[in-house]
Amino acid sequence: MLRSLFLFDMTFWLYLAALGLYVGYVLARRPGLQFALAGLPTAGPEGESGWATQIGQVATIVTIFGWVVNTLALLTRAYERLQLSGTFAPWSNQFEAMAYVSWAIILGYVLLEFRYRIKAIGAFVVGIGFIAMGAASLLPYRYQTAEPLVPALNSYWIYIHVSVTLTSYAAFAMAGGLGIMYLLKERAEQRGNRSGVLAAFPDLETIDELGYKAIMVGFPLLAFGIILGAMWANYAWGGYWSWDPKETWSLIVWLIYGAYVHARMNRGWEGRRAAIYAIFGFLMVIFCFWGVNFLLSGLHAYA
Amino acid sequence: MNGERQVLVEKEAAPVATPKLGWEEISAELAGFFASIKLAMFLFIVLAMTATIGTVIQQGERPDVYIKEYGEEAYRWFLRLGFTDVYHTWWFTSLLALLCINSLTCFYKRFPAIWRSMMQDKVNVALPFITSMKHNAEIRVAGTKERVAEGMVHMLAEKGYRVLVKNDPQEVTLYATKGIMGRVGAHMAHLSATVIVLGGLIGSYWGFQEFGVCLEGQTYHIPKGNFDLRIDKFWIDYHDNGAVKSYNSTLTVIDHDRPMTTKTITVNDPLVYKGIWFYQSSYGDAWDRVEVARINIKEKETDRVLKTVDLEWQKEVTVDHLGLKLALTDFVADFSFNSSEKKVYSKSVEHANPAVRLAIQERKTLRATPWIFYHYPDLFDIQGSRYRFELVGYQPMKFTGLQINKDPGVNIVWVGSTMIVVGITLSSFIYHRRLWAKVIPHDAGATVHLGGNSHKSQIDFQKEFRKLTERIKTINT
Ligand code: HEM
Repeated sequence: MLRSLFLFDMTFWLYLAALGLYVGYVLARRPGLQFALAGLPTAGPEGESGWATQIGQVATIVTIFGWVVNTLALLTRAYERLQLSGTFAPWSNQFEAMAYVSWAIILGYVLLEFRYRIKAIGAFVVGIGFIAMGAASLLPYRYQTAEPLVPALNSYWIYIHVSVTLTSYAAFAMAGGLGIMYLLKERAEQRGNRSGVLAAFPDLETIDELGYKAIMVGFPLLAFGIILGAMWANYAWGGYWSWDPKETWSLIVWLIYGAYVHARMNRGWEGRRAAIYAIFGFLMVIFCFWGVNFLLSGLHAYA
Repeated sequence: MNGERQVLVEKEAAPVATPKLGWEEISAELAGFFASIKLAMFLFIVLAMTATIGTVIQQGERPDVYIKEYGEEAYRWFLRLGFTDVYHTWWFTSLLALLCINSLTCFYKRFPAIWRSMMQDKVNVALPFITSMKHNAEIRVAGTKERVAEGMVHMLAEKGYRVLVKNDPQEVTLYATKGIMGRVGAHMAHLSATVIVLGGLIGSYWGFQEFGVCLEGQTYHIPKGNFDLRIDKFWIDYHDNGAVKSYNSTLTVIDHDRPMTTKTITVNDPLVYKGIWFYQSSYGDAWDRVEVARINIKEKETDRVLKTVDLEWQKEVTVDHLGLKLALTDFVADFSFNSSEKKVYSKSVEHANPAVRLAIQERKTLRATPWIFYHYPDLFDIQGSRYRFELVGYQPMKFTGLQINKDPGVNIVWVGSTMIVVGITLSSFIYHRRLWAKVIPHDAGATVHLGGNSHKSQIDFQKEFRKLTERIKTINT
């Protein structure tokens, strides 16, 4: 039994708790609930009830704690790999990759929360981090162990190529989460519902802009990741580009976001359309990450 | 005037109706078409969609594979549309070429304005231009217009802005800009597409890719590099649990009869000599030699196994108490006999009918060189011998499969790759912002009209603009 598995499990539960807390926070900020929950109308400057602030703080703390455990889990896994086979990249199979993606998403979220002081986004973004961790936990046990790497993967390139690519996926995941949030908020506003649960969310323009930012983080990272992959292929397979399904799909994803980046230059490609597009892009990322490994064959289908 | 021109640069050039059609008009129209972002988006999306085809349909298979899976009619269509080799079809290549033309035209049309703005050394805008900007503010401050302007210049320079000032009798005009590298980065990315495609083309015209099956101890001539390659050793390392850890070949380059370099290559670590790369690509069992073979020596009379010996390749072994000397001289993986040349050879590389040839010396008198078959133990009898020999197993010698490549375009591809990564990163994290201000004096001090815009990152810019406004308020206190 690997010790890291226990820590990965713990991360899962902590993220679940954090997600619950963020949802609680959003609910508590709902003006209509203030009385029922707090007993006393202790509305803050933004109509925040007394409870919301506390719940929000706890949510942040639990998230950070979860992230620390996630970090420890990855470090422990790296150590176990070192013991087993002399390589340490803790993103060497599907399970570890998912755990790493959720690590990156949560890190991105925590940075975003500190920078912009918007907590309600946690209900979505921590949610996606949690789903990533949850999907990893659902993998059969044999996928969760630290089998030594096959020779083709046993290389320094795996450290940097895989982590950069996965980090870009995390950024796109964040943009997808913000896209969903945008659509929900917009629908609530269109129905004239300005005081419901969604009132706690930042305004549409902010969500839109943050989503754009997330993509502008993911886009160069994915380009870098693809190129690192090409350099690796040039070392391992004797050719930097062989149109293998995985590399083709990462290029497809990159092209999709390339269209987005240019579309943003035109008016009318903000807000709703951009949000839908970001969600679509994220679905393509999921396919590139999971679908290709399980549905299509190719050089990358090691897992 | 300069300031206004820059703002116009951001908008798409609207297609102008052309009453007469000359070369000027056509080329302007064409340039407009090829520089349009709409075409870029179209190409990105179409490339993304068509690239999926090759991931769903297997590429470069034999016809029967497609016919079995999709039927004959579908296969005919595949051939017509090039779906069995999508990425090398004329239409896919054309899309890539269009993307290059598109991004080059974009660079050609837009970069000069950015360059001019970097080189700009004058500022000249009218007040309504400032007051009509998305971000604008009107701030009253104490002090003369020169003092106020000086304070602003200091403040903006401290924030990393490049500031231009124009002092007129009735007002001071300021222009401040920051983050132009973000836009330079975008254009670096635009050039990179063509650089990468060029590198790829060079590689496909002047490069080659070959595959070699090489045995330990042999030396092979590499005609394209005009040197020789000796395979010193091939072996496999294993993890404790039996999984393969690495495939290794030790190679020596021999150039003009002098050993130049020796390197052990593994799957992720090729040998490079004179621009030719040798990759550990595969391995397999040799069909004409073995490391060792295990032979049972049986007594003919009793059919009892008297002894089991392991014979190494072409090494004589003495079995004293039986009065035998044995040597393993030949091996074929798939035995076949050419009756006209009277030669034994291996029909294929498969180990379908393995056989070894022994050189036997029995009690100094009897000599024989029989072929012994793994699958047919009793096929031949050695006349006069007390023994029968059985091949019970063998360990084939491995060959190493080397991929041999030369790609003179690869470094150009890396240059383009660096440009694309650096360019996109710059354009993602640095955003271009510009501020214009007029300081207009009046009896109780001065009024600052501040206006600004940013290429993107509106929230950040809004914050920054608000902070700047606050700072200006306190400029002379
Ligand atoms: C070939 C791959 C291409 C890449 C990697 C690429 C990349 C980029 C990037 C990263 C930006 C900056 C986006 C931003 O600031 O938000 C950008 C801007 C831009 N792109 Fe591209 N692009 C490509 C092709 C094209 C093409 C074919 C066009 C054709 C019109 C185009 C037109 C533009 C324009 C007009 C801008 C704005 C430039 C400015 O700020 O002055 N791009 N591009």
